[in-house]
Amino acid sequence: MARFWCAVLILACLELSTRVGTAPICSYGQAGCHTPSLADIFDRVIQQSSRMHGISSDLHSEFEQYFFPSKNLIGKPKCHTHGIVTPADKENAQRLGREQLTEVILRLLGAWGDPLLQLYRSMSQDQNQDFNHYSSNKALEISDMVHELRDGVAKMAEKMKLSGVLGNTVGYISPEGLVPSSSFSFYKHGELNSMDHHDLLYCFRRDSNKIKNYLQILKCTTLPGLDC
Amino acid sequence: MYPGPTSPVNRLHKSVSSVRSSGSRQWTQHGQNTEGETESFCQLKARLCGATMKKVLEVILLLLLLVVTHAKGTRYSPPGKPALTRCRSPEKETFTCWWEPGSDGGLPTTYALYYRKESSDTVFECPDYRTAGENSCFFNKNDTSIWVNYNITVVATNALGRTFSDPVDIDVVYIVKPNPPEQVAVTVMEDKGWPFIRVSWEPPHKADTRSGWITLIYEIRVKLEEENDWEMHLAGQQKMFNIFSLRSGGKYLVQVRCKPDHGYWSEWSPSSYVKVPDYFHREKSVWILITVFCAFIFLILTWLLHMNSRSLKHFLLPPVPGPKIKGFDKQLLKNGKSEEVFSALVATDFPPKSSNYEDLLVEYLEVYIPEEQELMLEKSMDLDVGCLKCEGSASDSDSGRGSCDSHTLLMHKCDGVKEEEERQAKEARRHQKDWKEEASTYAHVDVSPDMSSGRVKTWPSVFSPLPRYTSNQQGSLEMAKQHYLSDSLFPTSSTSSYHTQPGHGTTEAHGPGYWECGLSNKQPHLLHPQAQAQRQLQARSDDNISSIGRKQTPAGLHSPARRSTEYVEVERVNEEDMVLLQPVSGRCGDVEGYPEMPYGEDYSKVKGVDMDNMLLLQREVREETENCDTSSTVTTTQKPAACIHSAMPVEGEMVLGVNGYVDTATVCTPPTY
Repeated sequence: MARFWCAVLILACLELSTRVGTAPICSYGQAGCHTPSLADIFDRVIQQSSRMHGISSDLHSEFEQYFFPSKNLIGKPKCHTHGIVTPADKENAQRLGREQLTEVILRLLGAWGDPLLQLYRSMSQDQNQDFNHYSSNKALEISDMVHELRDGVAKMAEKMKLSGVLGNTVGYISPEGLVPSSSFSFYKHGELNSMDHHDLLYCFRRDSNKIKNYLQILKCTTLPGLDC
Repeated sequence: MYPGPTSPVNRLHKSVSSVRSSGSRQWTQHGQNTEGETESFCQLKARLCGATMKKVLEVILLLLLLVVTHAKGTRYSPPGKPALTRCRSPEKETFTCWWEPGSDGGLPTTYALYYRKESSDTVFECPDYRTAGENSCFFNKNDTSIWVNYNITVVATNALGRTFSDPVDIDVVYIVKPNPPEQVAVTVMEDKGWPFIRVSWEPPHKADTRSGWITLIYEIRVKLEEENDWEMHLAGQQKMFNIFSLRSGGKYLVQVRCKPDHGYWSEWSPSSYVKVPDYFHREKSVWILITVFCAFIFLILTWLLHMNSRSLKHFLLPPVPGPKIKGFDKQLLKNGKSEEVFSALVATDFPPKSSNYEDLLVEYLEVYIPEEQELMLEKSMDLDVGCLKCEGSASDSDSGRGSCDSHTLLMHKCDGVKEEEERQAKEARRHQKDWKEEASTYAHVDVSPDMSSGRVKTWPSVFSPLPRYTSNQQGSLEMAKQHYLSDSLFPTSSTSSYHTQPGHGTTEAHGPGYWECGLSNKQPHLLHPQAQAQRQLQARSDDNISSIGRKQTPAGLHSPARRSTEYVEVERVNEEDMVLLQPVSGRCGDVEGYPEMPYGEDYSKVKGVDMDNMLLLQREVREETENCDTSSTVTTTQKPAACIHSAMPVEGEMVLGVNGYVDTATVCTPPTY
């Protein structure tokens, strides 16, 4: 019996010692970590934003298909991010510069965190719609993505600053500062009907496209390579 | 907001009034000039008249036109509803919208495109109607805003009215359809002897991918010139692609197209042709493969053929069937070893029990013993008689008289047999004792055709006549059994190869006993009820049996009849005129003590023949006979059948039947030496 326990202990020790250690997450760029290069970060971020846009686009088209078959809506909704000035064409975007562009991206991302969460909650609570379960999962997904992307872009900005590509004018932007809560009162707190869902999705679809595009511009101006 | 069209009626009025006014003006002018010229006045007048007439005509025509149109009714109408077909942007910086005009209502119709931007109420008209062609509106860079919703409407205007199209909302970002890729270059390259195609291209020059403003993904399609199916390849964002697995010597077409992340696919680029050079080793390998495959198939076929050669041969050249003896393997005879043959014959399951008695009966040997042949032992006359008799009875109804029918043979053999008989008789006496001891069983089964005569008279003993002669029911069974014996030994076909050499017979007499209990199809002859008829029979049978060549005839039993066979001795004849036979044994019936039966115990004394042509055999009143009570009933002992017991004289292992009869089958067992 004693031997058995000895053996067990030895095995446990061995296992612990031989366990493959996972590389620590290098959030702060510690020494000894394998930090991804700026190009890698850019790739990841752009991939993420592209995926986010794809999902939001799908959701929006689903909504349009099921709930608003007639394409002619009375009026296009006014998005709560209309306050954020975004360049509307290439020249303006190029004229803006990297720092401002990064800032715009961050602002946009910050403005969408809460509304998406609310959208998800509202969609999951709504029992009437059959397809809502599938859609609410998507809503949750994009909600998470927005948060992750925001963090990623922030890291990217940091890295750019470190490598001297980005000026120091870009400061940390708090989510509250991005969008005044008044503008968010567009949407009723708590209960959102399907119309609101549709509007939200419409707006987010566009904004995610903007984010993606700005990131691509940023990448190609910072790191001109094969992809650009 | 929109300028109204001038009504045609007003214009008409205007024109009429202008005509009138012009006419009056002219009139006034001309009037002033007529003072100096009286002759020209008339000319002037004429001219004036003509002009006026023209004008009047025009007015009249116009009026007519109006009247006509009004009389016909709705020939003109306001324009039909136009529709915006599509709007496209090639590079996400400009865009164009096309519309489809409705019916023009018969009148010249003008179209105008008006748009409104999102979050603005200002209506703008299309800046450029020409650049993009007919029924189009081109928005240049200054007028294009991305991520802004445009509300576009087309208005058709004609003399009678205006018609608005349905408004369309577009966002430029979602209507991007780039131009096809440019500078598509296709080259053939080689990789370790195997060629491949490298396709490279450039994005359309208008699309700005360099700044990252637009991101394109590409797609390539390839096909052989003569085929219809394209092979698609998605290339992603790269601008170069390799295509492998090409056909040697083939001519390929390559096309490329592109698409932004969320947008429309461009048109295919113009085809680029490329010819792949012939590469020999690939074709060669194909031929090698084919050759190997064929060889393999060939080998398999050959092997199959070899395996099935026998059956194939049988199929193509079926073998000639040979004679068959029931239960007897002719291979034994072919081998030439009589021992085996003997043993086979006296096997316990021999003769095979056939359920068909009729078959056996056919084989029945009919023996006819004429009266003259009382002393058949010394004489060989019986054969002649038999021969004669046989001849005489050509018309017998018996079915199986094969050998009897062959008269010529009969005659011939009859002569031959006589001489032999005498010789053999002497021999028989000499070897009497030997015979006893040896109890030889000779396979003088002369079933051969030349011995058909012998067969006529052979087997005087045991074997019962045909059932039709039988009055005794019991006997039939026994007879049947005997039939079996006979059958097995002497099948109807006279080509039995039973015939072993006499020499063999002698020497191998000790071998497995066997019996020539064979009967041929013989007509039952009337046997003379002689006291020694049986002997005669036996003698005859001996003769016959051994005539072919039974030199040895250790048959010391019968002098004339070289007793080469064992016989079943007729023990007695019961009340029902049945001959009871017993095996030839030393004990059974004192051989020595019977002068009448020099053959000893093998023979049964025939008492007489009754009216029904039945052979009445004398019963042996001996004590010893009980031991070997091999009595088999023979009703018509026309068929002297001799059941040879190899060891019978010595031992009396007889199976006593229920009725005192003996199953000759068991009687004729192999000698146990």
